[in-house]
Amino acid sequence: MNRIIVDNNLRSWLKELAEKYTLVAPVTSDGVTLFKHVKGSQVDSLDLQYSNTAVSPKGCFFPLSETMFSIGSDGVNVIAPVSTDREVVIFGIHPCDAAGIALIDRVFLAEPTDTHYKEKRDRTILIGLACNAPSPECFCPSVGGGPANPMYLDILLTQTSAGYIVQATTGKGKELTPAARMEEKDIPLPPPPHVTPVPLEGVSEMMRRNFDSPYWDRVADRCLHCNICSYVCPCCYCFDIRDYMGKDKIDRVRSWESCQSAGFTMIAGGHDPRPTKGARLRQRWYHKLLYFPELFGDIKCTGCGRCVRSCPVNIDIREIITDVQKLNV
Amino acid sequence: MCSIPAANPFIPYPATVTGLLDLTPDIKLFTVELTDPEQQDNFDYRPGQFAFISAYGVGEGPYGIASLAERKAGLEFAVRRVGTVTRALHELEPGATLGIRGPYGNWFPMEDYRGKNILIIGGGIGIAPLRPVIHHVLDHRSDYAELTIINGARSPRELVFSNEFDLWAEPPQCKLELCVDRGNDEWQGRVALVPQVVSELSPSPDNTVAIICGPPIMIRFVLTGLKELGFSPGQIVTTLEQKMKCGIGKCARCNVGDKYICKDGPVFTLEQILNFMEQF
Amino acid sequence: MIETIRNKAKEWLEKNDGGCVIGYERASDGMTARPVFIYKPYMVGSLIFDETCVHNLSKYLLNRRGLKTAIVVKPCDSRGINLLINEHQLDRESIYVIGVVCPGMKDAHFGRIEDRPLSKCRVCLHHTPAVYDVLVGEPQPETASRDYSDVARIEGISIHERNAFWKEQFERCIRCYGCRQVCAGCYCQECFVDELDPLWVGIRSGPEDNWIWNIGRAFHLSARCIGCGECERVCPVGIPLMLANRKLEKESADLFDFEPGMDAGTAPPFATFLKEETLEKVE
Repeated sequence: MNRIIVDNNLRSWLKELAEKYTLVAPVTSDGVTLFKHVKGSQVDSLDLQYSNTAVSPKGCFFPLSETMFSIGSDGVNVIAPVSTDREVVIFGIHPCDAAGIALIDRVFLAEPTDTHYKEKRDRTILIGLACNAPSPECFCPSVGGGPANPMYLDILLTQTSAGYIVQATTGKGKELTPAARMEEKDIPLPPPPHVTPVPLEGVSEMMRRNFDSPYWDRVADRCLHCNICSYVCPCCYCFDIRDYMGKDKIDRVRSWESCQSAGFTMIAGGHDPRPTKGARLRQRWYHKLLYFPELFGDIKCTGCGRCVRSCPVNIDIREIITDVQKLNV
Repeated sequence: MCSIPAANPFIPYPATVTGLLDLTPDIKLFTVELTDPEQQDNFDYRPGQFAFISAYGVGEGPYGIASLAERKAGLEFAVRRVGTVTRALHELEPGATLGIRGPYGNWFPMEDYRGKNILIIGGGIGIAPLRPVIHHVLDHRSDYAELTIINGARSPRELVFSNEFDLWAEPPQCKLELCVDRGNDEWQGRVALVPQVVSELSPSPDNTVAIICGPPIMIRFVLTGLKELGFSPGQIVTTLEQKMKCGIGKCARCNVGDKYICKDGPVFTLEQILNFMEQF
Repeated sequence: MIETIRNKAKEWLEKNDGGCVIGYERASDGMTARPVFIYKPYMVGSLIFDETCVHNLSKYLLNRRGLKTAIVVKPCDSRGINLLINEHQLDRESIYVIGVVCPGMKDAHFGRIEDRPLSKCRVCLHHTPAVYDVLVGEPQPETASRDYSDVARIEGISIHERNAFWKEQFERCIRCYGCRQVCAGCYCQECFVDELDPLWVGIRSGPEDNWIWNIGRAFHLSARCIGCGECERVCPVGIPLMLANRKLEKESADLFDFEPGMDAGTAPPFATFLKEETLEKVE
């Protein structure tokens, strides 16, 4: 037996949530789907069949730009950021994006804890939506996930012909599920849709052995060193910290940055340990496929396919993985 | 390790400049005091660690701590004017406010060096993070064997800590070898590059630990030179520098291969560096 | 057509050891194209040319300044080469231009090809490259009249409506600088947004910062944009960047009767100062 919520009840539940919480959900406009803050009145127009958003929802916890604190004009008085107690519900997040947030958690929640990130994480509930139709570029099961994987979510909704099966996996999730709007039905969880696998065995070891391969320069030939791959990725988290002068205060702002941009590692004085395109490109793949797994045990990728779709010159992580496994030492 | 963690690790401790000393035309020694006496008392650091200094309105940067906490003579940084933040710092006067975040990083394990000969090799401002090591050895002279310091710079005016050279050379079994890339009319000393001086002096690796800091290219040549003299990789220690933003292992910028300079370093033995995949 | 391209590339590589041919190969989706760099004659078989070859490859020439390079270009891309030569960024001698007469590109994205022309192709005037060392395909006549109907979306509306329109569009900007990195006209060693001292814009994103970035870039391209549309194609959040560029292109055409990149010699209007030219006093 599973608990089912039909679409009408789901929508009315979301409208109720929108009153009490800041509701964030996928919104499509001009053909682009992005996670946005939605009001109750927008709930009926939410498109829940979206395949994936253009940019991941990591920005809900790790915003594109964030003022960490300000300094008053006296140069001494620290003005801490104003936080809100209002809780957030992110609705409609796919399992790959929840997995991405969990990967960032490993870094940002480790000591010393990133308080800006933690504060948002603590007051956010994740209601996920299982994928019905993964894109051809998706490969989440190959990295330990799956289109209907409830891990890292508080609640997972899986669509069936009779309505959405509701699985609450955490205390927060259980507390939030709208018992009154659900029915118990003898409907099993559908088998998850097929996702093309990408064989990952031995990739970290092959990466270790091929650091100096000219392969990286060859791939980098066509890389534009824009930041698109890092910015659309649910688990990339490089950032910049910089001061901006305001009218009578100075803001210290953290913003996304990418290891791909030129000058990312350049020190004042001009020395740059990664002066070539190949060295910069190489850093991205090594961080994802070797360094992060060495530190945390997991590959820093959730198989969401965004970088594959968005890269202007088709640098495809799946191709990199299969190429590296075939490289001669 | 030993300082009061700020609840928000990105917010610096407020501090004031209590002393300024021109070491060279573009390097100043800053003495800094944290404004809150409790923070000041608890700001405990070891030789080799670094801290971030904020010039508010301009930015923040990581700087090696150039003082020895034990001496209680103030928290000191040698800062070279080379970019936007350092330029702003150089314009500060005594009494000016700045922010301090830290101490971060690992440190030179002085306990492991007891009883050994200490060979210090510094180039330019590289001697600054080694100064706390020198002070520690001088203050605990009988705990260590011979102290040899090789200190080089581009020109005589650019030799760093010339105000202390007598103190470094004076005690028993202390030797100070200076060298410059180009001399001037007054210069009577060596005109040579630091790696050349290392080869010339040919220090024995027996019971010695070599501690190096300087521009990356100098470090690379000195490492080769010491290996040729028979130093094993475990006997050679250096402190590395990389572009940093957070200093606490979160922003993924300062890694050399899989090692983060802010957390796994900045102090590394050659043995560790030989396992680096990337070039620093 | 593709055989000619491959043969020309092979011949050139055989004569230019150490050179590189920049062209198109099949992408990992098996249906669209992606840039390829070929260093050996025996590899030219991977070159393709079809209606998914949307990329403007001329930007890559800036990574190979002074090095022998052959490049496959469509007419719009070829204007990028002229622009860069005109602005003294490239040395014509070291470049071998394999110009291809273009049938028009389809609206091709990774994994899907829409059955309609790319928007820039709908309004394209020039079907024969503006510069080439060898021409592949029969020269096509130019399209007679300019069509700026795509710009109508922001014309004939009030300034407040335009303001609101662009504000909404730029809100989505994630400052990835994909538009800048792909653009042949954006090659400043230090872009104005990366300048630290003074900090004109910085890396912070927000309504004002995004505005300055996008409008600033559009203006830096006035009378320089060659209309290749790459900026809009690569934008991960679908901002209609070409709307701004095309509007400014239209104004440059009206005011100066100037089309960027049609040849490498004509001085561009904003880089030209003629003593005889005076501003007329407006009463």
